Amino acid sequence: MSSSIASRSIGILLPLVVSLIVSGVVLLVIGKNPLDVFSLIATESFGNARRIAATLSAATPLLFTAVATAVCFRSGVFNVGVEGAFLVGGLAAVFLGFTLPAAWGFALFPICFFAAALIGAIWLYVPGILLAKFEVDEVVSTLMLNFIAVAITGYLVNGPLLSPLSGNNVTPLIHEVAYLPRLMPPSTLHAGFLIGLVCVAAYGFWCRYTPAGFEGGLIGLNQRFSRAVGISVPRTIVGVMILSGVIAGIGGAAHGMGQMHRFSDGFSPGYGFTGMAVALLGRNHPIGIVLGAILFGALASAGTTIQLFSNIPLDLVNIIQGTVMIFAVVELGRISLRRKKGTANAG
Amino acid sequence: MFPAKDTPTSLSNNNQERVVFPRAPDFSHAREAIVLSTERSVALGAVDLHKSYGATKANRGISLSVMRGEIHAIVGENGAGKSTLMRMLQGVERPDSGHVVIADKPVVLNGPAEALALSIGMVHQEFMLAPDLTLLENLVLGEEPVTRQLGPLSRIDWAKALREGQGLAESIGAQIDWQRRTSSVPVHILQFVEIIRLLRRGCNVLILDEPTAVLAPPQVEELFDLLRNLRANGTTILFISHKIGEVMALADQVTVIRQGKTVFHSTIAETTGPEIASHIVRDAPPLETSPPPSRTVTGEPVLELDGLSARSLEKSQSLDNISLQVRAGEILGIAGVSGNGQGELAECIAGLRDTSAGNIILQGADITGETTLARRNRGLAYVSADRRHEGLTTAASIETNVIAGSHRAPPITRGGILSRKNLRQEASKRLAALKVVFGKVTDPADSLSGGNQQKLVFARESADNPKLMIASQPTRGVDLNGIAAIHGLLRDFRDQGGAVLLASEELDELIALSDRVVVIFEGRLVGEVTSPAGAMAQIGQMMVQGDAA
Repeated sequence: MSSSIASRSIGILLPLVVSLIVSGVVLLVIGKNPLDVFSLIATESFGNARRIAATLSAATPLLFTAVATAVCFRSGVFNVGVEGAFLVGGLAAVFLGFTLPAAWGFALFPICFFAAALIGAIWLYVPGILLAKFEVDEVVSTLMLNFIAVAITGYLVNGPLLSPLSGNNVTPLIHEVAYLPRLMPPSTLHAGFLIGLVCVAAYGFWCRYTPAGFEGGLIGLNQRFSRAVGISVPRTIVGVMILSGVIAGIGGAAHGMGQMHRFSDGFSPGYGFTGMAVALLGRNHPIGIVLGAILFGALASAGTTIQLFSNIPLDLVNIIQGTVMIFAVVELGRISLRRKKGTANAG
Repeated sequence: MFPAKDTPTSLSNNNQERVVFPRAPDFSHAREAIVLSTERSVALGAVDLHKSYGATKANRGISLSVMRGEIHAIVGENGAGKSTLMRMLQGVERPDSGHVVIADKPVVLNGPAEALALSIGMVHQEFMLAPDLTLLENLVLGEEPVTRQLGPLSRIDWAKALREGQGLAESIGAQIDWQRRTSSVPVHILQFVEIIRLLRRGCNVLILDEPTAVLAPPQVEELFDLLRNLRANGTTILFISHKIGEVMALADQVTVIRQGKTVFHSTIAETTGPEIASHIVRDAPPLETSPPPSRTVTGEPVLELDGLSARSLEKSQSLDNISLQVRAGEILGIAGVSGNGQGELAECIAGLRDTSAGNIILQGADITGETTLARRNRGLAYVSADRRHEGLTTAASIETNVIAGSHRAPPITRGGILSRKNLRQEASKRLAALKVVFGKVTDPADSLSGGNQQKLVFARESADNPKLMIASQPTRGVDLNGIAAIHGLLRDFRDQGGAVLLASEELDELIALSDRVVVIFEGRLVGEVTSPAGAMAQIGQMMVQGDAA
């Protein structure tokens, strides 16, 4: 047990350390003191309550997308379509948020979230059933669905749902009553962060204390074994895809109703993909996911302000983020190798 | 014969005490002279090898001298340290202390390539041949003869390759059709090709890791003839085996390894099978080798197959019109050479492979179209032939492995919530019932020995009072203690009224356990033996030829 915790912490820390070294070298080359820059990043992201709130706010969508990814990855299903489900879920929630009568008040919350979850579920059910029944490679189908999601939502916000009052590419604002409450005004940290934490906790519970979570973990390790002990692999695959869609959809709704209050062309700057990096970095473990989301949130929130206070380019923060992702993805290579062999490495 | 503690550590001492063996009768005089002149040298040896993996001491003092031109057998249980020794002899692992000896000189090997350069070659249990190439292509793969040295533009000289292959095959008395596709060739021919490939690369010391494990008795004879020819040609052979009968039939010398140490060494002429056995296992319960008294099974039929057929998928054997019956209180053995459909048959019954015709009837109910889960709920248990990939999830914990399949049933899951406490309790109960030896229930199943892994599989499969147990190669890779325990489990299950369908490539095992034996050949049942005791030859004949002629 202790060795697994140790290896897990190494798995989380190693990409971070390597990426710090890499960006340190880059900084030296452009003539900056790496330690100064790193301490600036740390202050900018965790220096005081306001900055911490900004970091957590940036981490919020990642909690959802990382959990949605982890649900599938731990079951050996390489769903890269969380981004698409996040988009369609967010648009569904926002659409209902400005279409339904404002007089419905708080009833809008459950309605919008339910609609987002439903459409997210349907969105990923399709590649799930294609994989389970026809062995259509899920990486290809979910990746393609992302493009479709971007195109559909892009068309809608530029056409039928375009706000008559605003400029380009945005829907009208949702009713104010449907805004998720802010936790620490004036920061944008909103109740979606708490919903995200609940999702992470529910995911942890699902893994350990539900038969479906038990089965998901088993098919991720060994499909032949799972089949032989009577687990339906196709049903489990479809199940985790639906679950992933539900969580991604809820994430989109929380982002729409808590942060953006409308849907726009740049609704998600790749939260689904950053979520994959977070899930990989956190080794699909709930605590790892929370830490990973906060790390990426910190880099994102520091990046936007750091440029204002020093002459360090934003690109540098992106370099750090990129190297963390690369080294987190090294793990992906190992998982997919394991899946091809049908089992963990034989001793 | 002398026990290990008396084994001289000095190699030269050892040489002087050696007994020279009579050679094969067809031995040419010229060859004999050459061999005799080098005979007293050690072709491959080990001096006091130690190797630890973490806290596990795999080898704790192994010494070995394989004389040039001899067949030397290494025997020992699984986990005795044979594989570790092989890995060090081959240069895959470096010993912690001690050293490997090649051609009388201590050497440090940095990999199998260096061993190969010193003429040491190994034939693994799993053959390293590309299935989609021809035998000839596999023979030269990696070291192709070329017409002209033109770098990447060189052309492979297939005529020369064929000449080389034919010449080598002839020299060891094997007949090989070099143009056949590897996947269509019987397994013992593949073994010959592996050997010839090593000879072509100049190996004069061959290490064979349990070469007979996949062969039928007549094929074993063919292999032994070939190995004797090799010896006559001056090749040294290190032969790893479980089977004392084979060692007695083939080897010149034998070394026994137990718990990582050499415990016995002798020439074959000076020892006996029972003596070797006594050194392999200490404190082992005697194997019940005498077959059970002929029993009349009168139980109700539990499993009936009626004209069952299945198509071939991905190189698997198709099944053709198989009909059989297994009664309560009966073990029905399925004999067959590996790859003749016994594994496919077991998978069809377990619901893991589609059938194309016929019916599977379990306790009167037609289960042909049912899912694996439904079949298991009706009382079917399945012990997979592929323990490491289907019988277990080696990376998952022991408790997960022993519970999987029952994880939705109360008391483990109630009201949709899986109770970790009840899961652990049930797991401990099951493991204790079958006396599985393990560290912690959260350790990976990989941490168990082969025998305990298989006991874990039985602990899971027998937990829900099954009516029918499909046991496919249940003792493959299991040590003698484990085999005795698993045989006991199967007998107990039978005696309590269970029906067992037992597929095994170990004829001894089938005969010792089965009330009846049917023989499968190329996907068809070709014969039935109602009193298996003493019918070994008859069964062996049917396994290879498909009829009892």
